[in-house]
Amino acid sequence: MTITATTTPQPTATAPDKRRPGVGAALRWEIVKLAAQIRSRALLAVALIIPPIVVAVLNGQQQPPSDTIYGRHVHDSGYAMPLLMLAWAAQWVLPLLAAVVAGDIFAAEDQHGTWKTLLTRSVSRTHIFWAKTLTAIGYNLLVLVVFAGGTIAAGMLIVGTQPLTGLTGQAIASGTALRLVVTAWATTIAPIIGFTALALLLSVRTRNPAFGIAAPVVIGFVMQLLGSVTGLDLTRKFLLTTPLEAWHGLFAQHPFTGPLATGLAVSAGWTIICLAGAYLSLRRRDITGG
Amino acid sequence: MRPIITRTLTILAVAAGITATAAAGHFDITKTGLERALGPTFANLYVQQAGILGITGITPTTIGANASCDKGGPKVADVGAGPNWICMMSWTDNKGQHQDGKFEVTVRTDTTYVAGGPSKIVGLATITDTHGHDVTNPVFEFDGVIPTGS
Repeated sequence: MTITATTTPQPTATAPDKRRPGVGAALRWEIVKLAAQIRSRALLAVALIIPPIVVAVLNGQQQPPSDTIYGRHVHDSGYAMPLLMLAWAAQWVLPLLAAVVAGDIFAAEDQHGTWKTLLTRSVSRTHIFWAKTLTAIGYNLLVLVVFAGGTIAAGMLIVGTQPLTGLTGQAIASGTALRLVVTAWATTIAPIIGFTALALLLSVRTRNPAFGIAAPVVIGFVMQLLGSVTGLDLTRKFLLTTPLEAWHGLFAQHPFTGPLATGLAVSAGWTIICLAGAYLSLRRRDITGG
Repeated sequence: MRPIITRTLTILAVAAGITATAAAGHFDITKTGLERALGPTFANLYVQQAGILGITGITPTTIGANASCDKGGPKVADVGAGPNWICMMSWTDNKGQHQDGKFEVTVRTDTTYVAGGPSKIVGLATITDTHGHDVTNPVFEFDGVIPTGS
């Protein structure tokens, strides 16, 4: 194995490397493994292909989907389209996108019985944990960028770059609207990392890829349901789905960012708790079986 | 710890968290908040509608839209999300006439709302612009958001 040879430059090429390979080496192998999976490549392709199709279909419809925010404006401005898509995606698509790889990345080693093979390499469990976590988060952010980019570009190219009507009825000029739409999609980064951490925790705990992928989506649904109950205004602030709706304030005439700040803190809390749970669970686990 | 204990503790902690936050929480959506959001939103959109119809000489300031809201009649507290908000809007039109209109408002828990205006006063779902095209009437039904602190 020549994993270590490239991580740190050596004085002479023949000098034996005394250092154990770090997270970097484990990370590179996790990325190689992920890139070889059909599922991860397919998801990226889907994230790229689906938005233009949905935008084209919506644009062709006579009746705009006015039951969702910005739905009634889809024919008026190309910037309404990505906001409608964001409101839809927040319901279950974003948790699913976050869970497809993260829910599987630990459990796949159980499924294939490869934990022992992996841990007999000269990397520690901590290295493997961080390598897998960083791979999952990095991949999910890549999917988000592709999905958001495709949606925004499709809206602008298919519908146009007309000014957008804000949530105080004000007209938002094309350039400002683009900046706000990009910012709105960017605000989902924190809750997506939160959902990734949740999927990682479930992946470690359940050792079951199907459960690791499906459970975050179901939990997302339950949170949506809980968040739609009148009277639970404080409870819904602690849910991981609420930060996905915090972008509304950006589109007011006098923008307010209180919900965004709360959402950031809540997402960070979920991420830390879930990652800590996953880490401790993996550290203390008895891996002696297949 | 055995899995059954961990799971039971997790479920109990979640249930306790929901109960505690439900009991300690107060409503983010209030009568005042909705009124403050709805008035300016209507004024902006009314000006937009005037632009489509080719009516000149009005601005959000000259309209002076004022909303007075109530949720579900006198017996229901005027707080929280729900489809049963009614707002009476009063404003001045381009001819200097005082107008009153009843708006039916659905407020969602994420503090966004959908308001539907009286079509006798604000017009139908589509209106004809100065070029003869049918376009969406911005004040027939519109989305908005109620500002909140957190």
